Amino acid sequence: MIEVQPLQTLTAIRALSPLLFALLSLIVLARSDRFGNRSDAHARDGNAAVLLLSASSVAALLAGSGYASTLNVGLITVDPSEPGRLLVTLGGAVFALIVAAGQGRRAGAMGQVALFGLAIIDLALAIPIGLAPIVILLVGSASLSALAAGNREDAQRARAVFRDLRTVGVLLTVIVVAELLRSAIPLSATDPSYATTSSLTAGVALTLSLVLLGMIGAFPFHHRLVRIFESLPIVGSLMVGVWIPAALSLIIFNELSLLSSSVSEPIGGAVVAALFITGTVTLLFGGVSALLHDDVGEVLGFLAVGNAGWLTLGAAAIIVHPSAVGPLLVALPGALVISLFGLWRISIRRHYELTSLQELSGWARRTRALGVVLICAAVSQTAVPVREFFSGGFDIAGQSGGLLITFGALLGAGTLAAAAIRLLLVGLAQESQDVHRTRKGKVLSPAAIWLMAGAILISGAAAGLINIEAAASGLLRTDPVESAPQNSTP
Amino acid sequence: MNPLLFELPLALVAALSGALAVTSARRAAWIALVLMATTAALLEFRPSDSLSPALLLRLTAIFGATLYALPPGLLAWRALAHDLQPRRLLATLAEHPVVAVSAAAGLILGTIPLALPIEGSSVLLRGAGVALLLIGLPPLLTNRYVEATARAAVVTLSGALLLRASILGALDLFSSIAIAAGFVALLLIGAAVAGQLTKAED
Repeated sequence: MIEVQPLQTLTAIRALSPLLFALLSLIVLARSDRFGNRSDAHARDGNAAVLLLSASSVAALLAGSGYASTLNVGLITVDPSEPGRLLVTLGGAVFALIVAAGQGRRAGAMGQVALFGLAIIDLALAIPIGLAPIVILLVGSASLSALAAGNREDAQRARAVFRDLRTVGVLLTVIVVAELLRSAIPLSATDPSYATTSSLTAGVALTLSLVLLGMIGAFPFHHRLVRIFESLPIVGSLMVGVWIPAALSLIIFNELSLLSSSVSEPIGGAVVAALFITGTVTLLFGGVSALLHDDVGEVLGFLAVGNAGWLTLGAAAIIVHPSAVGPLLVALPGALVISLFGLWRISIRRHYELTSLQELSGWARRTRALGVVLICAAVSQTAVPVREFFSGGFDIAGQSGGLLITFGALLGAGTLAAAAIRLLLVGLAQESQDVHRTRKGKVLSPAAIWLMAGAILISGAAAGLINIEAAASGLLRTDPVESAPQNSTP
Repeated sequence: MNPLLFELPLALVAALSGALAVTSARRAAWIALVLMATTAALLEFRPSDSLSPALLLRLTAIFGATLYALPPGLLAWRALAHDLQPRRLLATLAEHPVVAVSAAAGLILGTIPLALPIEGSSVLLRGAGVALLLIGLPPLLTNRYVEATARAAVVTLSGALLLRASILGALDLFSSIAIAAGFVALLLIGAAVAGQLTKAED
């Protein structure tokens, strides 16, 4: 007993390390004003948050997802997965860089949003797929969006959180219905008086896809995502708009894969066709809208909408070919690409305090380090779809079976890349008066070098030059205890 | 105990209080919401011999979050007695005939098999579940007021969980914890956002 106790404690620490760092931040940031001057409190909070995010990232990497990290407490099992640990490892580093670049009055609070977001992602991906992990992500998303909005009397922010609340309220109901339909599938095979297996499977695929589309912000559910990027602080926007949806898409892709492989007939209805069309339209809509808008937040929101198009196409592809790993590899690079744009936005905002692209004319001449960050973002934005098209893992052309879908998806990817290049071209144009008045940034200052190195590394990971996202391709665990109707006979 | 004697009154109270939670003014709506959530949880978890931890967790979450979310001064005895007069509540329902009809239609619809494996399941649970779904979903999608939308979300989710419980039984512990957190989040975020919007608009 005496020997077992420390071992269990160590297992609990390994299993729950991201959550422990998030909880630790509550203590550390609450007590940080006891050390040093009161005037430096915000900077100290920001630095503490950066340290905790970096430590959480390293701890997740060291703890890993092996047998020694599996915690069993009564009926509850927390078994960290490779995708979850990978998201925390990369997310911790990325958000540490973003919080360090942003600083500001709420840097500590934003660090906490990132820490709790990563803890929620890790926890959701550590429990068997079913109702609980999706509910955790939906509820966590709404809570973090409210936390990121803060107490500021800003009607626009409050309305963005309200929209998020409404979406989560609807999606929670839809996911309960999806679970109900899925549990009815085994019974449909034994009794002809029930709905057929095909219709129930199509119903589950449809409800799961609705949850996915609503949460990732695919067209026509994009308003929530755009408003989040327009009004919430960038750390909150990225966590609620990109990282949590990426984790959710991994869970739903796994659910769809299991569902599709468990039935002999192809999933009926128009679910697959609707997903292919929605994905293509989302890509095109995101790219064209990003090209047409002037507000930097809105442009980023539409780039995130474009990313949602890839995830939607991934959902369609995995229903057609349940064993395909390509769609599972799309979620993480997409989150990294949008995070790079977020890093650029927060740095630009800190430097110029401008949100209009027209007013930001010539920014790349003044702040060349930020130009490098945006080039990295544009390169990875272009590399991700190209890699997926040519790798064969995704194979949209083969799986959609339609030339129009393939052409539309390629065109959408092109417009997204064009939107990223437009941001850079605005920076190379003649300097606006606002930009001209701002102090010229040093390319070789330590902060700028750190920023550029971080951006290059993130871009390498997103574009696949650094092969680290393969861990995300593993399937998640299924629930060993299948839900069965209470009155069913064996 | 005869399940009909236990389930019938609870199903009726759940549907009626659900309708009042989305139609009444603030004080009566909050009280109706607590009543709806309590009856729905009792129907879902069916405490026959002992109270399950999941039921206790659900009730604690709902009561705690409602107490926190309640605007100050809402529990004044005299005002409560005034707002909760049966005559006033009936008048509220009469002012919203669509919601009242939705509740009745839901209870009736629940008795009709829907080609799902439900003939062995509880008709009353199913009826209450469908009724709450029909009552909660329209205001959840369309209401402009934050607190009312949060209450509609709680009503709708309770309906979906009742429908699920009528076929599959109560939730497992992990899902129960997640759903309880969901109820808390819906109510607390609704209250916080409503406060921020009021301040911003003032």
